[in-house]
Amino acid sequence: MAAPVNSADIQPRQVANKSNKKALLDAIRMTLDVQSAAVRLNTQTFNRNRYAATALIGDYNELKDRARQIKEAAIANLPELLRRLEASVQANGGHFYLAKTAAAANQYIRDVLVRHQVKRVVKGKSITSEEIKLNHAIEAAGIAVAETDLAEFILQVADEQPSHIIAPALHYSRERITKLFKRKFTTDLPLDTGEELTRFAREKLREQFIAADAGISGANLIAADSGSLMLVESEGNIRMTMTLPSLHIAIAGIEKVVPSRTDFGPFLELLPASGTGQPLTSYVSILHPPLQSPPFVAPGGTAKPREFHLVLIDNGRSRMREDPVLHEALYCIRCSACLNSCANFETVGGHAFGGETYSGGIGGSWEAGTGTLMNARFSELCTACSRCVPQCPVRIDIPWLNENLRQRMNLEQPPSVAKSAFGAMTGSAEQDRVAPLQKQFFGNYHSFGKWGTRFAALANASMHLPGARGLMESALGVDCRRTLPPFPKKTWEQLYHEERGVKPGTIEPGVVMLADVFTNYGAPERGMAAIRVLRAIGLDVALSPAMPDGRAAMSQGMMETAQRQARALAPVLKRYLDEGRKIVVLEPSVLAMLRFDFKHLLGDPGTQTLLAQNSFEPLEVLWGVAQELRLDLAQIFAARRCPHGTRLFYHSHCQQRTCNSATQTVEVLRAAGFDVVTSSVECCGMAGSFGYKREYYELSMAVGEDLFAQVRRAEEGSGPRTLVASGISCHEQLSAGLGREVFHPAELLASTL
Amino acid sequence: MQQLMALESSVLQFAEAAVKAAATVEILERSPATLRDAILRAVGDATRILFAPPHELPVALFSEFAADSRVVANPTPDEMVHSAAGVTEAFAGVASTGSVCVDVGYERTGVVSLLAPLQIAVVAAETIVPKPRDLFRSDILDGKGLKRDFVFVTGPSATADMGPLVRGVHGPHKLHIIVVR
Ligand code: SF4
Repeated sequence: MAAPVNSADIQPRQVANKSNKKALLDAIRMTLDVQSAAVRLNTQTFNRNRYAATALIGDYNELKDRARQIKEAAIANLPELLRRLEASVQANGGHFYLAKTAAAANQYIRDVLVRHQVKRVVKGKSITSEEIKLNHAIEAAGIAVAETDLAEFILQVADEQPSHIIAPALHYSRERITKLFKRKFTTDLPLDTGEELTRFAREKLREQFIAADAGISGANLIAADSGSLMLVESEGNIRMTMTLPSLHIAIAGIEKVVPSRTDFGPFLELLPASGTGQPLTSYVSILHPPLQSPPFVAPGGTAKPREFHLVLIDNGRSRMREDPVLHEALYCIRCSACLNSCANFETVGGHAFGGETYSGGIGGSWEAGTGTLMNARFSELCTACSRCVPQCPVRIDIPWLNENLRQRMNLEQPPSVAKSAFGAMTGSAEQDRVAPLQKQFFGNYHSFGKWGTRFAALANASMHLPGARGLMESALGVDCRRTLPPFPKKTWEQLYHEERGVKPGTIEPGVVMLADVFTNYGAPERGMAAIRVLRAIGLDVALSPAMPDGRAAMSQGMMETAQRQARALAPVLKRYLDEGRKIVVLEPSVLAMLRFDFKHLLGDPGTQTLLAQNSFEPLEVLWGVAQELRLDLAQIFAARRCPHGTRLFYHSHCQQRTCNSATQTVEVLRAAGFDVVTSSVECCGMAGSFGYKREYYELSMAVGEDLFAQVRRAEEGSGPRTLVASGISCHEQLSAGLGREVFHPAELLASTL
Repeated sequence: MQQLMALESSVLQFAEAAVKAAATVEILERSPATLRDAILRAVGDATRILFAPPHELPVALFSEFAADSRVVANPTPDEMVHSAAGVTEAFAGVASTGSVCVDVGYERTGVVSLLAPLQIAVVAAETIVPKPRDLFRSDILDGKGLKRDFVFVTGPSATADMGPLVRGVHGPHKLHIIVVR
């Protein structure tokens, strides 16, 4: 273990580059200590507001489809669009420059400023300018740069990198801003409210706006047909930057170009709603600079004609465009929905879950694309919980990008005899045997399950042998403070086949339960409970052979292994479909494999669609049948017969929510007569194997704290509730955090039979 | 009659959304005197008012207001920075968001609608469109929505960067919208 670091001593800049793992771990410690409260408050507010704002867009899903189509076509046709854009900008009377590299962009901009003898530049928020480190380049030429977005202003004063892609200083609480300003400026003002701080900054920056002789802005979108820019903001500083000085330079990545101004439509509504959760931000400018109105002339200044330069930056984007995985990241419109809906991000923010410029789930692909692969190491904090996927306005499968980055990082690792022997023994595909032992351990959970259950007594006892857990921790990185599910004496498969005298079900079609490896080796009694519950309403239930589905391997970036497993499982399941059965999957992360992830792995769209459309969560099926046949669930599963009580706290699984298969569980439980309070967190923090890992234990528990607090609030004054959760890792997290037993909804229902 | 009711309901939806975005809204009959009175009421005891003449609404509608002694016709840079209110027309409104669309391509509309702490926008009821995306359609507002340079203004300028939400940052602190019928 690294020597303990006092988190107060770590400065954000020191941990911006995460190409070594220590920086990542230090950053987690620092953010948990210093920034977490502000990050949580701000991201969770954005997240709540986004749900509300997008619900108000009547055709939200169609609009997302349209946005996706526009971006796909634009990126496919990018070279042509850039040519058209160049002509449009020139026709408007502006200058166009396409910079291959960051250095070329900086050089060009510096030259323009020097040519105009610029002394003072005002800048609007532009994350692309952070990427190329434009300020350094300008300041090196002796030109002063004033960041005028208040968040950027804070960062400039503090000398820190952004922690969020649209609210770059959201890791600062009001109190910390006051402290910072008091330290950096001489002022007698109290500065202890948001209003006072804003007024203070505004007055400082007003002077800059009046005196500035050039303005630099970014652009959210650019239309090739007309050279129009779309700029979204709330403070008014971007408008000032573009309107007041005579010289305006706009910089943007080449991926911001769309064919025409009409294409702005869907983004205009999706971007603010998905970001801050406003229907529109205060100002959305649609401009074709150079503006025709005269520039502002400072008192005593001389009038100059307007001049406009559009600087588009490649800096790795053309390479991303050719990349079979990373090209998806070019569709990103930087709305930040994927950051705000991510439980890990909500807890640490972009100084831990981010690199030098970009942060959050999508940030890894951007750091890898515009920098080097190892800059994307922080993308390990993506647990593939999938909550960001339905939030993304351009439908990027963000976890998939991160799993691929993980694979690439695995492949950069030197091979070793130990790793490859371990991999061969546990079932890693050839290529994945370079992955670290910890990754291969979690990626091959089914192999351990298989041996463990065969020698259950021995295996469980050995976990308790002095030193055994220490060995697990030092060799495999499994945190000592976690309990791995004990190996049962009999697997789900064995229990199922030992049953005698089961009457066939009466309703058609019957179902097959997928014996997922987590339930089969980790919680067979839960699987049996689900079978009993489905039978209780008359369904005929078969059980598939226990086979890995690829989830565990994929989450460790062992893509070959995952693909092999998925391709072995699909035909087995397909045979049940051919028999006329529906597929029922207990573990939501496995259901999500069939619904979504197989599309990346099977290479057989026909089978994939069939599997996706015909697999369900058990209570989803139950609720469907109950509705159709008008079953009286209060009769069949009378809650009052439940030995665990009728007052419940239910936490649905993150992937279950992404599958839209969570509300049905609540419906069923309520129909049976239970009193149900539900959680409203995005993820419990365990997220499959993530929370088991030694290095992420603290983060995982910090994420869980939101959920534990919700349970405590629900019980305040009115007494305890039985804890219920649908995911196997959520069980471990809840029982670790609250020290109580946790049930699966099917277990509760089965207990009433 | 039906058209009138549709107009009524889009104005109401507009007003509701604008108020939600922290603007204030007033709905008036179209007359130079009423407009002057409404604007002067809104500016209170301001001593200097910036005004960018309209291009879509009739100039005559603003004639009485423009004659007021506090309106600065040709402001110096210093007057531009130190005025209490800026008055412009908006060539369109958006019902779903309560936005007003201000053309910033003309002479001074950009600065007049930006620098003063109080922004007043005058919009005609019949130019209120249902959604923001409609401003990019050639078959709406007789193609007048396709302005070269314009800004959707939704409420006053705001920030959450200093902790709590604060209204009034670099741009106007208040937005007052006058809808004329
Ligand atoms: S990946 Fe999607 S959700 Fe995330 S910032 Fe980009 S557009 Fe928004």
